[in-house]
Amino acid sequence: MSTWLAIAGVSIVVFLLRASFILFADPHGFPPLFRRALAYVPAAVLAAIVAPGLLMPAGAIDVSLANPRWIAGLVAIAAAALLRHPLGALCVGLPALWLLQWTIG
Amino acid sequence: MTSRSEFLAGARDIAPMLIGTMPFGFVAGVAAISAGMSALEGMALSMFSFSGIAQLIVSQLIAANSPLIVTIAAAFVVSLRFVMYSAAMSPHLAHLDRRWRAALSFLMTDQSFALTVKHYGEAGDKSQRHWHFLGSALTLYVSWQAAVLIGIILGTNVPAAWSLDFAVVLSFIAILVPVVRTRANLAAALVAAAIALAAAGLPYRLALVVASIAGIAAGLGAEALHRRA
Repeated sequence: MSTWLAIAGVSIVVFLLRASFILFADPHGFPPLFRRALAYVPAAVLAAIVAPGLLMPAGAIDVSLANPRWIAGLVAIAAAALLRHPLGALCVGLPALWLLQWTIG
Repeated sequence: MTSRSEFLAGARDIAPMLIGTMPFGFVAGVAAISAGMSALEGMALSMFSFSGIAQLIVSQLIAANSPLIVTIAAAFVVSLRFVMYSAAMSPHLAHLDRRWRAALSFLMTDQSFALTVKHYGEAGDKSQRHWHFLGSALTLYVSWQAAVLIGIILGTNVPAAWSLDFAVVLSFIAILVPVVRTRANLAAALVAAAIALAAAGLPYRLALVVASIAGIAAGLGAEALHRRA
């Protein structure tokens, strides 16, 4: 039951955020500081998801060779920056992780 | 261009991005099953929320037995970027009726937003370009649900050695890297990353909320410093 409530609640919240300006708001109505803050949402949220995913896959910070994910992550970041293609990180990062797992494991 | 040719062009333009989104959808399907959701619940979450990041967060929090309000709050924070997208799209869609605007809002994702903003920036007749938006967004919606369904069917049978969950982190890196080319965005990302690691012990994945707010504040701070200099 609570799973269905979570599905309903999350779906409604996500829709309302997507529709916020398109459907409801006057784009000029928000305070300037709020509008400037919105510009940093993608960088902050994505970095807050990526950093633990690379550096603490098992729940504690691990920058040793036993954790191949931070190395594969650095390779993927370099690939994304140099190739400037949306698939660069995926097409280089995942094989890099497999190679590291195979070499170390 | 006619409505039909705009729609087909949108579907064609989004096609290369599906190579990135479909493995992500597959992972989201696997994550829902791994979190203990039924196939119906996992599919409903995907069809009604249509957001990979929100689906993964909800799966993680349901697996961790988090309170309902925390689950919804976390989905709110990770979806705040849609407010920005919505603000950027609204002038282009203001001439459409409410039904169109509601449908396009529901279908808007990182990919179709990026594509549509670029398309509206090009010269020429713009009157039918909402069909381009619909073509790209609907193509992504159908292919996404197919990928999630495959993930739900295969569920926990996917070998762990494939490390497909890493594809999720990589797809976030792919969006993050082009964003941090400005100094203020880089500050936002570095502070958010540091706080996310330092606060990882907080319950209910509150670290994500705290780190995001700290990162946004750092971005605003760096912007203010830069302006004063």
